[in-house]
Amino acid sequence: MGLATCGIAAGGDKVFAALKNALSQRNLQVLLTRTGCIGYCREEPLVSIHLPGKSLIILHRVAETDAEKIVEAVAAETVPQDLALCRVEEWDPIVGEKLVFGTGFEDIPVYDEIPYFAPQRKIVLRDAGLINPEEIEEYIAVGGYSALHKALTAMTPEEVIEEVIASGLRGRGGGGFPTGMKWNFTKQEKSLQKYIICNADEGDPGAYMNRNEMESDPHMILEGMLIGAYAIGAREGVIYVRAEYPLAIQRLTRAIAQARDYGLIGKNIFGTDFSFELTIAEGAGAFVCGEETALIASIEGKTGRPRPRPPFPAQKGLWGMPTNINNVETWTNIPVIIQKGGAWFSRIGGEKNSGTKVFSLVGEVQRVGLVEVPLGTPIQTLVYDVGNGGIEGRKIKAVQTGGPSGGCIPASLFDTPMDYEHLTAVGSIMGSGGVVVMDELTSMVDTARFFIGFTNEESCGKCVPCREGLKHMLMLLDKILVGKATESDMATLEELSGVIKKTSLCGLGQTAPNPVLTTLKYFRNEYDAYLKGVP
Amino acid sequence: MIQVIIDGKTCAAEEGEILLAVARRNGIDIPSFCYEEALAPYGACRMCLVEVVKGGREGITTSCTLQVTEGLDVLTESPEIIRLRKALLELYLAQAPRSESIRALAARYGVTRTRFTKKTVRDDPLQNRCILCGLCVRVCRDVMGVGAINYIGRGQFTEINTPFFEENETCQGCGACAEVCPTGAIAIEDIAPNRIMKSWSGTKVPLKTCQSCGRYFAPSPFVDNTLEKLDTALKAALQDLCPDCKRKEMTRQAILLSTGTPLPMK
Repeated sequence: MGLATCGIAAGGDKVFAALKNALSQRNLQVLLTRTGCIGYCREEPLVSIHLPGKSLIILHRVAETDAEKIVEAVAAETVPQDLALCRVEEWDPIVGEKLVFGTGFEDIPVYDEIPYFAPQRKIVLRDAGLINPEEIEEYIAVGGYSALHKALTAMTPEEVIEEVIASGLRGRGGGGFPTGMKWNFTKQEKSLQKYIICNADEGDPGAYMNRNEMESDPHMILEGMLIGAYAIGAREGVIYVRAEYPLAIQRLTRAIAQARDYGLIGKNIFGTDFSFELTIAEGAGAFVCGEETALIASIEGKTGRPRPRPPFPAQKGLWGMPTNINNVETWTNIPVIIQKGGAWFSRIGGEKNSGTKVFSLVGEVQRVGLVEVPLGTPIQTLVYDVGNGGIEGRKIKAVQTGGPSGGCIPASLFDTPMDYEHLTAVGSIMGSGGVVVMDELTSMVDTARFFIGFTNEESCGKCVPCREGLKHMLMLLDKILVGKATESDMATLEELSGVIKKTSLCGLGQTAPNPVLTTLKYFRNEYDAYLKGVP
Repeated sequence: MIQVIIDGKTCAAEEGEILLAVARRNGIDIPSFCYEEALAPYGACRMCLVEVVKGGREGITTSCTLQVTEGLDVLTESPEIIRLRKALLELYLAQAPRSESIRALAARYGVTRTRFTKKTVRDDPLQNRCILCGLCVRVCRDVMGVGAINYIGRGQFTEINTPFFEENETCQGCGACAEVCPTGAIAIEDIAPNRIMKSWSGTKVPLKTCQSCGRYFAPSPFVDNTLEKLDTALKAALQDLCPDCKRKEMTRQAILLSTGTPLPMK
């Protein structure tokens, strides 16, 4: 039963209880277990059934009332065909041996034929929805911690970093900085104490990639961090998770405890002289704490406000010590790179954009959910092939990528490959992977106002362009939306956007005007309409 | 020593020095509100932006956080810098409409009005002059070691005051906050027998009476804490005298010493 936050929100926990109840009334040899989410949010609640030797069958839109029917079918060694979404004969968990479920149920479409899944390539979400995230043994069974074993027993820290550099992996939090190089900076600092941090303060509106990664497969993050700590020479790590993700915190806490019981966290891991401790720090609700210097301040118990860099965290980070920070998704790629090799990884995706990226496809699109595709996949593949276009046949107008720091990309540019450089070229950013789809009914001015409202609310208030500038941008946008603005207000808005971008202290302010700048560039006509009064 | 070029002028500097300090030493006045030599660079006011032309990460950056390296070449008043500074000054004029120093600096750049809606708060303890540069917070915490005030709230709703807007007993009344404030926002008044920190929730700090002339001369906890840090002999010599009486006393002692008269025990 898919029971990540999304599955629970769709009523999955009620279905789970009903299944449990139905099973308890029969004497069947059935293991009912929780899994994470396979990513097809629109079709939830999802239940997967595996009968020995048969294909894994994924049931969708399962209701509480279906429980009886499902259990009856399982008792008869079959599945309720009317609820079936697809079948999986085998699955590649990448770091481990191929999982062969079996054959049968030929009239149910195979996983690869489902338009939602067909363009996807699961590397980060390799186990999501297939294993129980609360049991370390299930993670180990699909090859988990084998990459850590390989790194600790057969590789030097330098070799690990070389492999990560060779993979071409870039920071998945949005910056896109080469991960291997970043590790090297911290490694080269001379210090008795070094830290690594996992940034799990995912806060972009409409983005929940990291949440699912933590809820569905927490151990892959731990494993990635352990490998990173070994390479960098850190003995302590912190996962900084936003408090709004209670289930992720619960599963991570459990994962850490289990890893400690199995000797994977603590002293002399795998009998080597590598030791590592890992703790969780909870955020207190500030978006700006996703910025690395603010995040460090927050862990230290100070107000979450960014500070100028340099010194970079690699030189002076947590408690003044060299610190390496990576996003959740960056860490999840590490075990794969170690196990399959940097060269293998670098062949996936586009030039200088290796690997895959998880996007949360949300908004006015038919099929919403978490989608993992190779970097460089065009926007249209995501919106039309995976997402199946607009709701009720409505025309799609634009997508907003990269959260409040990103921009709105018009449908005419949907052949743009989703990679760091191309998204920047059209005025947006990759960001952490939020993709909000907007259709013809959406006002782009209102959309821009929403994002400025968000960043204005989340500005820490330290530097003047962000604190004061965004406030005035919001006032100007409100004036436009009530039809009271003039041409000169428009000019002020545009000028102010540029000033904020150029003069702000941290990434929040430097990117906050992007939604306005891109909508001004691509949807000027909508602003102009408001100048004549409310349309 | 290394050489850096600021507005075409070659200046000598120590490697790693802060560019803003190097510029000021060489008579190049880069405006700033949040920089203070005694404190760590903060980078909040954005007034000291300069343009790096060569020898560093090219582009616009704050000179209070820029450490100089050999061959660094910067412009402090390029057309782009002036354009950005003017825009920032407009934001400041809207934020702190009552500040004379903001108005004066803006006028220097030809900015006499702002396109933005002016913020006016009734009964603002900081007199509609605060620009949240944070100098008061930092000097109180990092230099005085007190930390009686801090930021409250976030973003545009940030303000500076004592915890819970209550009178704060850790405040020593030293007035360093008012001294460093670039906009004269902090109001302090001595109303015997107390110093009233009017901007800080009306915190009352008792004043010390001079043992000799009887007048109030400094906040009591500040004097006591300062004396704590001195050696006992000096402490005994200085105690509880106002600066005038202290001068008188010192002079008297010097005269007595020069005439060979033994000092009376005080």
